[in-house]
Amino acid sequence: MQPLANITPLKPAGAVEVRNVGQVFTTSTQDVVALDDVSLEVKPGRFVVLVGPSGCGKSTLLMMMAGLRQQTSGAVLINGAPIPKPDPNRVGVVFQEASLFPWLTAEENVEFPLALRGTPKAERRAKAQDALKLVGLDGFGKRHPHELSGGMKQRVSIARGLVQDPPVLLMDEPFAALDEQTRMTMGDELLRIWAATGKTVVFVTHSLTEAVYLADEVVVMSARPGRIVDRLTVSLPRPRTYDMLSGDVFGGLRDRIWRHIRKSA
Amino acid sequence: MGGTLGLKLARVAVVVAVFLLWETLSRTGVVNPRLLPSASDSLAMLGELLQRASVRNDLIVTASEVLTAFVLAVPLGAIIGFMIAENRYFAEVAKPLLFFAFSIPKSIFLPMFILVFGVGFAEKVGYGFFSTIFIVIMSTTAAVESVKVEHLTVARSYGATTAQTAFRVYLPSMLPVLLEALRISMIFNLTGVMLAEMYASRDGFGHQIATWGENFQMKQLLAGVVMISVIAIAFNELIRWIETRCSHWRT
Ligand SMILES: Nc1ncnc2c1ncn2[C@@H]1O[C@H](COP(=O)(O)OP(=O)(O)OP(=O)(O)O)[C@@H](O)[C@H]1O
Ligand SMILES: [Mg+2]
Repeated sequence: MQPLANITPLKPAGAVEVRNVGQVFTTSTQDVVALDDVSLEVKPGRFVVLVGPSGCGKSTLLMMMAGLRQQTSGAVLINGAPIPKPDPNRVGVVFQEASLFPWLTAEENVEFPLALRGTPKAERRAKAQDALKLVGLDGFGKRHPHELSGGMKQRVSIARGLVQDPPVLLMDEPFAALDEQTRMTMGDELLRIWAATGKTVVFVTHSLTEAVYLADEVVVMSARPGRIVDRLTVSLPRPRTYDMLSGDVFGGLRDRIWRHIRKSA
Repeated sequence: MGGTLGLKLARVAVVVAVFLLWETLSRTGVVNPRLLPSASDSLAMLGELLQRASVRNDLIVTASEVLTAFVLAVPLGAIIGFMIAENRYFAEVAKPLLFFAFSIPKSIFLPMFILVFGVGFAEKVGYGFFSTIFIVIMSTTAAVESVKVEHLTVARSYGATTAQTAFRVYLPSMLPVLLEALRISMIFNLTGVMLAEMYASRDGFGHQIATWGENFQMKQLLAGVVMISVIAIAFNELIRWIETRCSHWRT
């Protein structure tokens, strides 16, 4: 497969380093410690999944990696350098549902990051076409989001995240709003896209099955203050298949994550 | 406008029926023709009025008042509305007060406008402006609030500048609500200016209508009503047409 002919040269996958990061939110009533001394290293090309109880700071951590929020203490490095503000050349972000601009077509949504940087129209179009092809939406470029299914919308979001060929892709519960069947399919699709592009992926989810199914490594966080309580390496071979879900290895890993989460909830 | 051919025909039929009923009631004398001149006579009068220099002059006076008030009220109201929506403190202070102001019938202030500005252009424009600005402010605030935080975050994460965020996220998000605001503002504006002209004025179409009413010139009065209605409906439909073209994605 030659997925990204127009998005060449394919940049090498990036490294993510989180060093002793803390985050305190000061509200009118109290100080909330959202993250406490979190350290995490993601090697280039790895697929790492963050899980943890609601409110443990997963999104906060991801926002820091995206340069959308600055930590109170510690350091976040992408490819060895701090990220004081969003840098689409280093990091692409895929958000939860409804992040597409409804007034733009699928193609224009994908072109959006390029349009911001004044990329010429023809080049933009070609890259958007490639990205849409990569996510399996060839021929849907002229549709508006309201003419697409939930799964298709998230494919467009992924294409938008990939169009600038960022070394790191961050995904915050991208499939949370989808029904279970679509969600399973999208998981397989994402793994296919990941294999084709070799990006470093940091993925947040509430679904333990999804976490184990997708990840090279699952990072488990505890409730407030958010800390990393466990890191599990998923040694299941790739490509991952549906049969693995019922195997002992899979079940063992999922149980181990669940026990952590139950403890801290 | 939506609807199949059948529905459109039905709408036309209703309008025709109203005019036919009007014509019959008058012609058969069921309603005294002095009180209700026939539709055909009134429409003929409309044609005649449009030939008169004085009437055309009045229309120009009214149009310039309406446009001046509109051109002042819309941008100013939009800026105030935007500031209120973007500033938490400003919003907390101003919002309830705006609701209070909005609920008061504006017509009770008309005598004050006459006292301050005297009868004339400034008074009518001022009162038109005053009738319009509150709805503009409130609609703009609603328009800004209709911008989704998710969309702003997306723009920020792809490195959008402030200007790019304004033109590529705020403006398209707000456009449907803003166009709607424009349409409704014009209704308020037109009502304000006409009222001011009918209440106390030396010229303008509202003044004409009031005079025809006082002199029991029913044919002229009905012709005037038809004319203003057609102009108002035309403006409203024009904006609605733009609205549907710009907000097809809002479903
Ligand atoms: N801007 C803010 N001001 C104050 N507190 C905040 C702010 N943003 C997040 N928090 C708090 O920080 C904690 C972590 O929030 P975060 O959204 O990162 O959690 P999360 O793990 O992503 O949760 P979820 O699984 O529900 O998405 C929460 O307790 C939240 O209330
Ligand atoms: Mg979250």
